[in-house]
Amino acid sequence: MRPLQRILHVEDVPSIQVVTRIALEKLGGFEVLTCASGQAALEQAPRFRPDMILLDVTLPHMGGIELLRQLAPLIDLQQTPVVLLTGQSHEPADHDELLRLGVRKQLQKPFDPLQLATKLNEIWNAEHE
Amino acid sequence: MQSSKSVQAVTPPRELSRLAALLRYEILDTPDESDFDDFTQLAAYICETPIALISLVDDHRQWFKSRLGLDVSETPRELSFCTHTIEGQGIFEVSDAQLDRRFNSNPLVTGDPHIRFYAGAPLTSPDGYNLGTLCVIDREPRQLSEAQRGALARLSRQIMRLFEERLQAHRFADQAAMQQALLNSAASAMLVTTADGRVTGVNPTAERLFGYPEKMLVGERLTDALFPQDALFRRASILSNELEEPIEPGFAVLTAPLLDGRREMREWRLLNRNGDAVPVLLNVSTIHDENEQLHGYIVSAYDLAHQEHLQLRLQQIAAQVPGMLFQFCWRPNGQSSFPYLSEGVEDIYGLSAAEMEPTIAPIYERIHSADRVQVLTSIRHAASTLTPWQLEHRIEHPRKGLIWVEARATPMRQSDGSVLWHGLVTDVTERKAEQFELDKQQEMNRRLLEALSEAVVACDAEGNLTLFNNAARSWHGLDAHQISPERWAEYYRLFQADGVTPMRMEEVPLMRALRGEHIRNLEMTIVMNGTPRYVLANADPMYASNGQQNGAVAILRDITERKQIEVLQRDFVSTVSHELRTPLTSITASLGLICGRVMGDVPVHLQELLDIAHENSKRLSTLIDDLLDIDKLYAGKMRFELQTQPLRPLLEQALRSNQGYAESYSVSIELDACPEVSINVDAMRLDQVMSNLLSNAAKYSPTGETIRVYAEKVGLQKVRVNVCDKGPGITEAFREGIFNKFAQADSSDTRKQGGTGLGLAISKELIEHMDGEIGFDSTPGAGACFWFELPCSARVETSS
Repeated sequence: MRPLQRILHVEDVPSIQVVTRIALEKLGGFEVLTCASGQAALEQAPRFRPDMILLDVTLPHMGGIELLRQLAPLIDLQQTPVVLLTGQSHEPADHDELLRLGVRKQLQKPFDPLQLATKLNEIWNAEHE
Repeated sequence: MQSSKSVQAVTPPRELSRLAALLRYEILDTPDESDFDDFTQLAAYICETPIALISLVDDHRQWFKSRLGLDVSETPRELSFCTHTIEGQGIFEVSDAQLDRRFNSNPLVTGDPHIRFYAGAPLTSPDGYNLGTLCVIDREPRQLSEAQRGALARLSRQIMRLFEERLQAHRFADQAAMQQALLNSAASAMLVTTADGRVTGVNPTAERLFGYPEKMLVGERLTDALFPQDALFRRASILSNELEEPIEPGFAVLTAPLLDGRREMREWRLLNRNGDAVPVLLNVSTIHDENEQLHGYIVSAYDLAHQEHLQLRLQQIAAQVPGMLFQFCWRPNGQSSFPYLSEGVEDIYGLSAAEMEPTIAPIYERIHSADRVQVLTSIRHAASTLTPWQLEHRIEHPRKGLIWVEARATPMRQSDGSVLWHGLVTDVTERKAEQFELDKQQEMNRRLLEALSEAVVACDAEGNLTLFNNAARSWHGLDAHQISPERWAEYYRLFQADGVTPMRMEEVPLMRALRGEHIRNLEMTIVMNGTPRYVLANADPMYASNGQQNGAVAILRDITERKQIEVLQRDFVSTVSHELRTPLTSITASLGLICGRVMGDVPVHLQELLDIAHENSKRLSTLIDDLLDIDKLYAGKMRFELQTQPLRPLLEQALRSNQGYAESYSVSIELDACPEVSINVDAMRLDQVMSNLLSNAAKYSPTGETIRVYAEKVGLQKVRVNVCDKGPGITEAFREGIFNKFAQADSSDTRKQGGTGLGLAISKELIEHMDGEIGFDSTPGAGACFWFELPCSARVETSS
């Protein structure tokens, strides 16, 4: 089984970007592409070809779910597990649609940065069992 | 006469009246009488005939009242000679029947008694009907002399007179019998006197009433026998004055007014044989003979003892009635009188019943001058419409001063056109005073109600709205109208606390109170012109003094402002929490990475402070999360993504997530029994509840102890999950408020135990939102067992 390597992280808050990148790179040894907006992610994701997408649902302008919808034609989301980072007040999406869009897990903020890499590996492993 | 062989006489036109006149004398078919036989004897003697008859002709025969020289008592009318007599006038004579074509074939002529000669004089009644004849008959032809004819006519008139006398005698006998019967059966005592007042007869009633047999009274002077002398003297002196002539204190007392053309009817107290008083109503009438000569008097005495008894009873009853009973008569000519007034007239008008004149004047003068017109007007109106009269008015009472009375009376039209009232006047001064006091009180209450900032509405037992105070009118934009309770909510724009769901009839506080409920602080809204007014309703049933519910009242307090402040506060908390959260996440995560040595070793002298910063930033995050949660739960904005899923994996996951936390307290967690059931929950929320319960258990468990988690079926439809620790348990004082916000066993615990105090409150809300129930069992000193129950299905359903 191929180990989890490339992670696309979409997050608009710079401090969270930094903390998350450090947690993933230092603790998980992943290669992380951080995008600050949905638009940036749409532009860069196809070229980056992520193994997994870590996505903040409450992005400004284009929300996380909308981003996934637009990503769907560009990336095989069924082969690219998506982990949603949800806030307290996110609007719940249609469960079936989330499945269709490749969402495997929703993590509620704030996440423990020390546990994050482990969690993503668990999801990856479960996906490839 | 050209009569043919036919012997039938022509029926006279007045025949029916004649027959009636005949029957009136009641003489047909009566026995022979010598009085009449004398006449036939005389007629035969005078006219020198062998046969003489008194013949009466009815519709089919002639019947002989007296007959001389003839054996038959009657013969058929068509054969009768007399028929011819009564049809004519004066004497009818046939000198030789064999030569007369009218009679020559008559069997009485051709056969027995072989009549040849007939002469008849009609018996003519005073009203001109010929009833029959006096006739003489011979078997030889002949003629009467003029003298004989004259005698026959006179005799016939005498016979008729005799008929008349007998008729009169009959009539007199009838009349006498009738009079006797009347006298005997009369309810009044009847005494007949001579013109100078001596008794000539009395009826049985008089015998009974006065105790004398008739024979003891007959011949006595009436006034001596039955009248008390002092009363006669009093009456005599009054009459002497009235008639302006001296009246003897004897029988003249009764007769003098009659001479004056007056009818004498008066109450007397006569004396019976024992000397006891007999109250009677006396009526004296004259008896005149046919020549209008005074013959005597009939004195009738109507026994008033019974009436006096009734009157006495009425007096006794009237004495028990507060106020005055009266009978009042209003005549068409405008005159009025009081046929009856009870003793209460003193109480009401300060007038004495005994001295009262039977007129309205003294009473009218007592009426307060300002009320007189109204009294008269209302009486007139009631009299003209024959409706009951009722009026409160004031009386100037000479002893009591100004008093209020209530008069009620029912008018009845009498046959003579007058109006008779029966009524009652009562002194209502005290009631009036109470009424004034009550009115004052009510006015005060009304002012209070109007001044209240709360809205007050009330209804009676039938659900008719009876009261809307100022605030209620302004809030609803409407007053209390007669709207059926089914339409209250719609009409008065009543909504539930959310301001959008219309209230159902059975939810309206006033309606619930009407059904006996006590409503406390029920939130609801009144939406006027699209703007909701949030109110807190309190409502209670109202009871009359007899304990019967007579309505309900609701008091509404406007809490719109408070609600707005609450919303502002919640928005503020929510906004602030959200704003705090992102930077806090970064801080916590950064500190986590540093303390987790991700960025390399931390200098030892910084280690402790960084740990403190990290620990407290985590607590702050949790607090903010909890605040946001509870806020969302209370606002109903928390979303639940319910899914039916097996229970066991959820518990196992919860144990895994909290194992680390428990270990930090040196406490372990064990999952015991768990039935294979599925529950319909939001997994994340259930995990939140489990985390709260497990972290609490860990915090309060003594070091080295184990937290026991197990699930069990409760009945068929529910599963109970227990989280049991061996900590100090829940103290009695803390049990009640344990699920309230910011509750902790000790306020100092918040810091010592590191919780937000919101965990249990959030757990309770979460469980209840998933149709469950939360609780705990605890023996102080022997640990606590928190549990929640959720609906479950028996079959395990694997969920994707």
